[in-house]
Amino acid sequence: MSTDNVQPDVDDESSLLSVDAWDRIKHTERFIFLISVGFALTFSYLFSRAPVISDVTQGYHGLTITILIWSIFALGFNLLLGQTGLLSFGHAMFFGTASYATALFSIHVFNEPLTIVVVGVLSAVAVGVVAALILLRLHTVYFAIVALAIGQFLYFLASNPLEGITKGINGLEVERTPLLGIVELDHQYRGILGELVVNNLYLFVGVFFVAVVMFITRIRKSPYGLIFKAIRENETRASFVGLDVWRYKFAAFLLSGGVSGLAGALLAVNTQFAGVERLYWSISGDIVVMAVLGGLGTIVGPIIGTFVWFYFRGIVNGFPTLGDYWLLMLAVSFTAVVWAYPDGIWGMITSLTEELRDPKALAAKVKARATGGSDAEGSDGGER
Amino acid sequence: MALLETDDLTKEFGGLTALQDVDIAVEEGELVSLIGPNGAGKSTLINTITGRLTPTRGTVTYAGTDLVGMEPFEIAQIGVGRTFQTASILPELTVRENVQVAAFAAEHGSFRVNFLSRRDSFDEVQQLTDDILDTIELDDKAETESASLPYGDKRRLEVAIGLATDPDLLFMDEPTAGMSPTETEMTVDLIETLQSEWGITIFLVEHDMDIVFNISDRIFTLHQGELIAKGTPDEIRDHPAVREAYLGGEEQ
Repeated sequence: MSTDNVQPDVDDESSLLSVDAWDRIKHTERFIFLISVGFALTFSYLFSRAPVISDVTQGYHGLTITILIWSIFALGFNLLLGQTGLLSFGHAMFFGTASYATALFSIHVFNEPLTIVVVGVLSAVAVGVVAALILLRLHTVYFAIVALAIGQFLYFLASNPLEGITKGINGLEVERTPLLGIVELDHQYRGILGELVVNNLYLFVGVFFVAVVMFITRIRKSPYGLIFKAIRENETRASFVGLDVWRYKFAAFLLSGGVSGLAGALLAVNTQFAGVERLYWSISGDIVVMAVLGGLGTIVGPIIGTFVWFYFRGIVNGFPTLGDYWLLMLAVSFTAVVWAYPDGIWGMITSLTEELRDPKALAAKVKARATGGSDAEGSDGGER
Repeated sequence: MALLETDDLTKEFGGLTALQDVDIAVEEGELVSLIGPNGAGKSTLINTITGRLTPTRGTVTYAGTDLVGMEPFEIAQIGVGRTFQTASILPELTVRENVQVAAFAAEHGSFRVNFLSRRDSFDEVQQLTDDILDTIELDDKAETESASLPYGDKRRLEVAIGLATDPDLLFMDEPTAGMSPTETEMTVDLIETLQSEWGITIFLVEHDMDIVFNISDRIFTLHQGELIAKGTPDEIRDHPAVREAYLGGEEQ
């Protein structure tokens, strides 16, 4: 306890300093910007074309665009559940509505990718205003269920009474036009740029992806980030310090809906299609799974969750024999991860790195496990 | 005119009358205490004034404004703060963030569109937060997650949050409950500081009679929902109805 420990303690302190510096840097907006740009630029290459890595992942370029779009959706959903603590089982309402609005605007009014995406986002926000007026009176499970009901209402509305407009199960086609009238989205690059981003469509989605990451990072660093968390933790207290909780929830709902709508609009541009299945309740369920699997309340978590989900659906699905069970395997992995780490995959990674940083605590834990369950329980109790 | 005045304030829960025709008046700058046996209606009175409950009848007037029917956040915004009996903190946030939430409400009002501005760019909020942490002596624990604070510190954080709302009138619901003697002493000093240096009118609900009789300017006594006595500590100490209903009952 005395002289033996002096040397390691000094070492600990010097490494602690660099860890502190790293902790400061990793939360700066500049760092998050560089990381997200770096990720967007290399994701497609690493996943689908890089030597060795892509042989393991067996990825393909088209899937990376889909993953980026759904990551935007998961980030938007997380803004409501992870930040503000409101669980919606009806987020397909934003995704599907924006998809339709994008397609309809391109068909009937004006077809330019950026314009129709903006229209899609605005339509999702408009749906959000109406839904919020109904939903924000409700709490917990009632909120979740009525959100589901509103989503399903829109689904049935689109599939039957409005069939003339939505073309029902056949859906709508979105013709691809040049961005701002000049840039062809289908343009294929050669050389290094071709290796990295392949085409302009990927760049188009990638720019939105980075923008959404930065937008949400800024919200988290704004007063809203703190107030959303306060509402999640203790709504009564938040109102008794003088905050208009309803309005802040309304804002969270619209921000979440808008970002989710952006994903729906981008998907319409990407697939050149908008269909009724994007309003279906299973979409709302999928997005909950992606966000929870990756880790709620963080930026990285929902992105990881989306990746894993699509990895199972897009890649594992294609494996011989095993592929037929992709959904089962996803479900088992989901249950295992969330059971052991309620904060999802990203929560698992952060808690593991924290343990690695603190070797003593790790050693104590390993020792406790090795000496038997009763000891482990005792040490757990002590930590609390 | 009194800062806070209730007139015939009555609250019924079904057939039970929790408050009956309560008339109290609190002058600006005073430190008043509310005492009464368990179940006398003390918390109901605070909850009815601060908007958590709606009175069955009667009025509550604060600085000329009728509080009945106002939302809790509106009441907080016009300068009526409160702390809760059970520490009602935001457990997963740090001590600083807990205070900051209230400081934002105090400096920015009930709602403001600023989701694209960084929190650390609002100097006045940071300043208020630092001042409060300094006053409550929680500055050395500012970055601690509040769930992991010891009980006494949680209660102090509770007071800090109430204080950060920048109240002119602060309701404190049993701020020393469950505290050690040292912590109790600190809290009593703090309450006196709030009155004398911060100029806050204090409405205290407290079980510890030593504290109540030492620091109060005036005392209200509630018994079975009715106000049975009000006056200075000396008047209350010798008041027959109080002795009968409360102090006497305790001595037996």
